[in-house]
Amino acid sequence: MSQFRSKVLDIGCFANIRNIRDHTKRKVFAANEPERQALRYIIRNTTLPQRVRAQAQLQLAQMHCYTRFTQIKNRCIMGGKGRGILSDFRMGRYQFRMNALAGNLPGVKKASW
Amino acid sequence: MAVPRSRVLDLLKVQCRIFNTTYNPQALRMGTRILHERLKGDAVAEYYPPRIGTIKQLRLLYPDYEVRDEKEDEWLEHMQIARSRGKAPPKKKRTAAESKKFTKKR
Repeated sequence: MSQFRSKVLDIGCFANIRNIRDHTKRKVFAANEPERQALRYIIRNTTLPQRVRAQAQLQLAQMHCYTRFTQIKNRCIMGGKGRGILSDFRMGRYQFRMNALAGNLPGVKKASW
Repeated sequence: MAVPRSRVLDLLKVQCRIFNTTYNPQALRMGTRILHERLKGDAVAEYYPPRIGTIKQLRLLYPDYEVRDEKEDEWLEHMQIARSRGKAPPKKKRTAAESKKFTKKR
């Protein structure tokens, strides 16, 4: 949803629409996380009146889908791929191999024994 | 030797005070688990590296220096040439009255 997207490009890595969208989702999630957690607390707290908890449930369900953590997906920062990502390096497996062999990743060495 | 329940509860109370947790001997579902969760939003939002070193940022950082933007210069030059030839884009219409789109030509 483009209402959340920043008007200027604000990521310095490989930028295609999927990466930009995922970045937008991350920012929206970070901004709304306290509110979501507060609502979740109210819902899980059985000592609160049932009415309040039901209202909190409704409110949480009505929040925008971009505020949900499950919307976020790790993507390759070098090539934008969405599958086969090594999350420690934030790269797809092929980009990881290329960068590791080129020596761009400190501490990564090809195994040989 | 069996320890009386009241002593155990006292111990629990002290434990809760020391470790800053909620005293809840009936084990009611109070949702404190959620309050104890760390907020991960900042770490999640930092996944993609920020865009740095753009000309706009440089100009903001060093207002005393003149930062040249070759692309912008080229564009301005092109616009000047186009304007001299009468091929520049028309001025933006600000009001509906100015706009000819909805006025019938006849």
